Order: sequence, then structure tokens, then C-alpha cells
Amino acid sequence: MQGADNGLADFIVGHLTRKGASYAEARLETHSGDGFLLKNGVMDAAGFETAVGMGVRYIIDGTLGFFDTNILEKSAIIRASDASFAMTRAASKIGETVRMSEEKAVKKAYEVKEKRKLADVDAEEKIQYVIGLDKALLDSGADVTTRYLSYNDGVKEKYFVNSEGTEITARIPRMDLFYLFTVKEGGQTVQRTHSAAAAGGFEFAKSWKLEREIPREAKALKRNMKEGVKAPAGMTDIVVAPEVTGIMAHESVGHPYEADRILGREGAQAGESFVTKDMIGTRIGSEIVTVVDDPTTENAYGYFLFDDEGVPSRRKFLMKKGVINEFLQNRETAAEFGIKSNGSSRATTYGVEAILRMSNTFVLPGEWKEDELIEDTKRGVYFKNFMEWNIDDLRLNQRYVASEAYLIEDGELTKPVKSAVIEVNTPALWGSVNAIADRVELHPGNCGKGEPMQGIPVTMGGPTMRFKAPMR
Amino acid sequence: MTFMAKPKKQEEKRTVPSDNIISTTENLMRKLLEAGADDVVLSAATVFGQQTKFANNKIVKTGTSESQHISVFSVWKKRVVETSLKEFTDSNMDELVAKASKFAAHLPQSDSYEGIADGPFGYKTLPYDRTIKLSGEKHADITEGAVNSALEEGAKRCSGILETHDWKSFLLTSHSVEAEDQGSTVYFSLRAFVDKEASGHKVGASRRMADIRFDDLARTAAGFAVDAINPKPGPIGRFDIVFEPFPLAILLERAGSAASAFDVDAGVSFLQGKMGKQVGSGKVTLADDPLVPTGYDSTTFDSEGVPTRRTEIIKDGKLMTYLHNTSTAKRYKTKTTANAGLVSPHHWNLVLEPGRQSREELIGQVKDGIYVTNLWYTRFQNYVTGDFSTIPRDAIFLIKNGKLSSSVKGIRITSNMLDILKGIDAVGKESENIHAWEVDSSVITPPVLVKGVNITKPTA
Repeated sequence: MQGADNGLADFIVGHLTRKGASYAEARLETHSGDGFLLKNGVMDAAGFETAVGMGVRYIIDGTLGFFDTNILEKSAIIRASDASFAMTRAASKIGETVRMSEEKAVKKAYEVKEKRKLADVDAEEKIQYVIGLDKALLDSGADVTTRYLSYNDGVKEKYFVNSEGTEITARIPRMDLFYLFTVKEGGQTVQRTHSAAAAGGFEFAKSWKLEREIPREAKALKRNMKEGVKAPAGMTDIVVAPEVTGIMAHESVGHPYEADRILGREGAQAGESFVTKDMIGTRIGSEIVTVVDDPTTENAYGYFLFDDEGVPSRRKFLMKKGVINEFLQNRETAAEFGIKSNGSSRATTYGVEAILRMSNTFVLPGEWKEDELIEDTKRGVYFKNFMEWNIDDLRLNQRYVASEAYLIEDGELTKPVKSAVIEVNTPALWGSVNAIADRVELHPGNCGKGEPMQGIPVTMGGPTMRFKAPMR
Repeated sequence: MTFMAKPKKQEEKRTVPSDNIISTTENLMRKLLEAGADDVVLSAATVFGQQTKFANNKIVKTGTSESQHISVFSVWKKRVVETSLKEFTDSNMDELVAKASKFAAHLPQSDSYEGIADGPFGYKTLPYDRTIKLSGEKHADITEGAVNSALEEGAKRCSGILETHDWKSFLLTSHSVEAEDQGSTVYFSLRAFVDKEASGHKVGASRRMADIRFDDLARTAAGFAVDAINPKPGPIGRFDIVFEPFPLAILLERAGSAASAFDVDAGVSFLQGKMGKQVGSGKVTLADDPLVPTGYDSTTFDSEGVPTRRTEIIKDGKLMTYLHNTSTAKRYKTKTTANAGLVSPHHWNLVLEPGRQSREELIGQVKDGIYVTNLWYTRFQNYVTGDFSTIPRDAIFLIKNGKLSSSVKGIRITSNMLDILKGIDAVGKESENIHAWEVDSSVITPPVLVKGVNITKPTA
């Protein structure tokens, strides 16, 4: 691995094992990339970063210990491990006895190919890309009062080794473009924030076509303020576009199906789940709803082939035909459940422990064409995208406020709707889904979980889908 | 360069990270200036952190963390380049300098950059708890004691975290600033459960271990949980709300962020265009005070090395100033408030000036209201107007005729930040220092009573 000595990781795993650890693993990481921030057309900040460090996890006296350092010298690592050992041994008197699921040792190397390597694209081109998007927004014809765009990229190289003989080498480039803008019309303002991201090279910047989408959104928001009507009240047919389908799947299917929440491991901050260990097989959605989490989705922002415990990743069917089917598992939770891990453990950086995370979570496609689905809706509201959202920490009570929404009247999108709100409970939402389109879109995000907080690359998405919920 | 920090006692070693880091920092400064950088700020730090995470009454992980780095802010003919050095070799330094110079050549000029502060300066000192660095092996005893206290109070299980940090920093700028500091912090969070729907949560934060009453926090969290059993679906409509310090801190921190001149310019501030106007009730005086001796985010100098001081952001409800660094201050034709952030100014410890009423007196004056002990998932529909929603979690109680009555669940606060600040009708007298998952920067606040807050919930 460039800039780091894998031998240090091998050394510390051996060292910990010799000191009595029943299990030890090390993650040695290098991350380097560029970032640019353009605020109201001014390049406020730009920079480049290279970070190298190692995170080490082990079990001693049945208790889990973790330490990290960016001082990559043998003496410093031994010093860090001694301090950590002393703390973990002291903790073992009230430590949870940690078990890990049995997993096959693997030795693999993999990488995501870049057609245009991020490191080879000079700063000038990246800057011009961001400036071009800013100009497109400015030329949209809407009165855009604030513009904020940031571009970040980076390549993460990772070497994972554990005391069971697993060795994984991975190289994943990622890039993302975030934007936030304010449109003013007739004394009112409305805002839109979103991002595009990929695991891959600079070639993805072109594929997003943001130079068309961002000004389209600005114009739509202008129209929304000028012509927008109030949302209809009462039980309504709601059609949500993939961006909204995705956040719903992420918040109310992905998170509550994380086994660590179910077991209370993240109880203090990230919260728990309305789902209990014995709910596998319970119907929670309509028969047409299947939700998966799939890290193997090529070039998706949440892509990886081996997790941060060295377990191969795979597609998980979280909800299958409306029935709770599988939880996200790491080795610790899988041992509690008496099963194998499904490779869902990830850490944001070397400096934090790997915990259970989603990857690319989406609703599988149905059979409807998008236009037929709208045509089939007599009266309803179409949510194109959203701005504000939240859900309670048991993952039941959720709310989404549209940035851009339209009335559906006699099978056609007509007037824009101002501040359309969905406020609904999880079983009511998924239980009422009655039509799913055949085209899937994924939208990126940085999912927050854990303490200290870890924001990790994910995507969320699915097809356009229709359900019933009350509006006010 | 002149060392202007307050002289230390003879027997104390220098607080700076290490001689190696100092010499590396000085070398790097020389190399950057020789390469043509106009303004340079270098901030070196070593940080040692310890963490104990617990769930279901057991410690589920211990963690230690050690890091060293030099943050590099360099400006080349108004082109701003940020990076950092983490491996202190000559070749790494030379590579960084060459790359920064080349990188800058590609950048457009930043019209918003107006320079950094001219030193030298003198600084005050803040308390430093040297026991914190050695506290790792005591984490287990502290955790065990707190969990047992919560269980004695009636909780069935507890989850949470104990974090301690010890850090040393050294700041050097091209404008005659040299400063050094050391600090210690402790943060404790305990959420007690009686069952899934009956929980209570408390946090504590300080620069000194002795300030955190671990067992008291645990007992209070457990007391909330016990009182919250069998919650009923909550009401919708407008209610007077008594906010505990913890949930209020989550909202006040948004006000602190909105006061940053950077956020104002970026379009993420509900204080945009409100200078000199009433943005809160007359009961609201909100200051940034970086010199609170026990404050979790206290500091004696900002990221430019400007000595910090107390700044009143809102006085008696009126917006007095935004928070500035040298650059934003020049653009706003004012003086820095010592809140750099080299690109984005930010607050240190937000302090809501306490009132005179006890918590019981706040609750006692509410006829029909709600007592909120924690919030979660605060998100904005429009940062400029301040429209947002957030979800009360853990113990929530109805207030009827001045007394706490039944426990409720499933509600959402759907409101506006200006409405919340203007609705503050009474301020409590007992402040708490809050640092938490949704409170990145420290907030020191008492409980308050807010009138007429909108409550919504799903109807399906």
C-alpha cells in the first residue's frame, strides 16, 4: 500500500496475540484527495489532504478493545497497545463477553477502476467543473440569492489483517459534489440541497448532468413559489420519486434492521429499533415491496466487496415481498443471533471502530412504467424531491417535506404544491404501497451513526412508488 | 519569534506538543514563506483520547486514540490552500510545500479573503486537569458506579459513553503570532431505559473530571425513565414547552451556527438580514464565552491566534453581532470577534444568560404544556427562514395546571427558530454545560419556558 508499511499491521496483530488477545485485527489506511468550496461564486477554500493511520481491534479477557494512531512507528504502536490493554483489562470486570461469528479466512485484493484517475485530473479541471455548475445555476433564470457548492474526492487504500489469517487489500476512489442554493420569488425564499457521488473516477462528473439538473431545480422552485397551491388535506394517493423512495427505505427499513440497534448496542445516541430479534418473518409491508442493501452495486457510493472485519459483502434482502427477511449483521451481532455475518461492518476512518452500516439500500423495481403510474392516479401529490426530513429513534414516526412537489389530477402532473408534507408511521407507509415503477435510481448520502459520529458513504433509492397517507 | 503566552511556573515543562513538532512547524513556516506564500497559519497539535462505550449495563468497547498533525493554512496572492502535515519528515515537508504552491497556481483568487490578524498577542490561561490523561483505567469504575446508580433508581438497562481527551497545541503564523495551549476535556452520556418506550438521557461535559457528577446524572436519567413508563400518544396543537438544558442546547447551537458570518453568507442562517433587530424575547441574552474556566470548548486564542473574549450575540433579544474572523470582519466593516475558523468563524461556548426561576417554578406557571427532556434529528426546511422540525425523545411529560402529569410519545416539534427564541418567556437559573451527539460545540444553558410551540404527529 502506498505510503504505509503493511508489515506494521502484521506486526501488531502478532504482538497482541502473543500478549494474550484471543482475537486481533488491524486496518492500515491511506486516504488522499482534493476539496474545493465555492460560495456565491468565490473560491473560499481549497485544499488537499493525505491521511495515514492504523486502527486496531482485539479481544482480551472477553472484552473488546480498540486503539488508533497516526504515528506509524513500531515503538509508538507498542506504547499505544500497552495503554489500550491496561484500559481494556480494567474494563473487563463489567465488560460484555464478546464473541465473533465463525468466518472463513480469505486473502483477496480488489480495486475500483477509474477511467479518469482522480489523482491525475489537475485542480484546474476540478475547479472549472464546480465553477461551470455555479454559472449554470446563476443563469437559470431564477433569482438565486445564495449558492454553495463543494467538491471532494479521494482514494482510500486499505490493508486489513486479522489473527485468523484474513488479509484484504482494497483501493476505492470516491468523489462527490454537494450543492445548496436559495431561490427568492415574491418576497419568499425556498432552498434545495442535494449531492451526487460515486465510487469511481472523474468520468462520473459528466455522467451526472448536473449542469442541466441544478438549473432545472432552480426554475422549478421559482415556479413552485409563484404558482404553488396548498396540498390537499386528508388521506391522499402519494407518488414519490426515487430520491424520496430512497430516504424512506434508508430511514425506516435500513436503520431499524441493523442488528446492533436491535440488540441495544447503539442505544445511547444512534438509538434502537421498533424491530425485535424475533420479528423475522413478520409482515410489515405490502406484497410488492422488496428492499435490499447491496454493497456490490458497482460504482455506487456505498460500494465495497469486503467489510472492515474482512467478511465478503453480498446483497441482503431486508424486506422480501413485504416481510421482514434479514437484518444487517457484523461478526459480533451474528454470533448473538447464532448465524454468519453478512459483511455489513464499516468504519469511516482508521480512527474509529467498525460498526454496522448500510451500503446501497433500495427498493427493488416493480412492473409499472413511471408515466403509467401517474396516469393511473386520479388525484394525488407527486413528491419529486425533499428538503427537511426526520424519524424518531425507534424508526416509526417519520416526516418528509418536499422541495418540489406537484398535484396529480386525472392522471397528469398539474400545479406545483407548496411545502407538501408526509408525516406517517412506518407500518402504515410500507403497508399501503400499491404500485412500484420499473426504473431504479440511487442517490448518495453520508449516513451518520455511532459515537463518536461516523458519517459513511451510502446510497439510497429505488423506483417511483405510490402509497396512501394522510396530508394536511 | 516572540513567545507571548503567560509565563509558566518554573517546574512546568512547556505545554507544546514536542520539540520535534515545534521545530517542524518552524521549518515548515520558513519553507512556505520562501516558496512564495504571503500568509501562513500553522497549527500543531497532539491529542490523546480515551473512550469507554457501554450498552445493556456492560462495557462493550474501550478505545484509545493518539494523533499528531500540523494544520496548514496558506495564502498565495489571495488564493487559499488548506492541507495538513502528519508525518514530520523533511521530504514530506518539501512535498507539501511544492504541492501547495502548484495547487494555488490553479485557483482563482478568493475575493472574500482579507488577511489574518497581526500579532504578537498575550493570552490568559485556563484550567488544565492533568489527571484526565491518566484516567483510562478509572473509566471502568466510573461507568460501573454510574450504571449501578441508575439501576438503584429503577432503570433496567443503561447505554452511553465516557470520553476523555488531553491535548497540546502550538500556533505559529506569518503575522508574528506564536501561541501554545494545553487542554483536557471529559464528556459523559448515559441513557437509562426501563423499557423500549421509557427512557431518560443526561449528558455532562467539562474541562475537569471533578465537575462531572456521574452518579447524579445517572440517577436523573433513570428517574426520567421510571416516570416515563407507559407513554400515551401525545397531543397536537400549540403548547407551552419547558425545555431541559439538553434539548435546548440542540436548538441554541443552531442559533450559534447561524451567527457565524460564514453561515450568513452561505445562506444557511436565519439571522441573515436581522442585525440590530429583535430575534428573541427580551429574556434572551446569548453570548459566546470562550473563557469559561470549565467550558468544554474553552480556548484562550482563536485559529488566527487572536486572544478570545466574551461576545454578546443576542442581548435582551436583539441581534448585536455576527461572529467574525479577520477576513469576515473586514468585509462587514467591523473587528474580529476572535472566532476564527480560518475560513468559517464559529462559536466556542454558547452561554444563555440564566434567569432566576427554578425548574419547578418554570413548570409551575404552565397551565397546559409539555416538558421536553431531549430532542433528536433536528432538520431544516429552510435555513434562511429558520423553518425546521425536531423530535422529542426519551421522557416527555404533559404539564397540567403547573404539575407534571402523564408521559407521552410520538410527537414532533414543527416550528421556526425565530419563533422559538421569541417565545422564550422565562429562563431558569441552573445552567448545565452540554456537549452531545447533536451538540458539537459546547452550550451552557439553563432550562427555559417557551410559549406556543407547534406540535405535530403522524395520523396514520
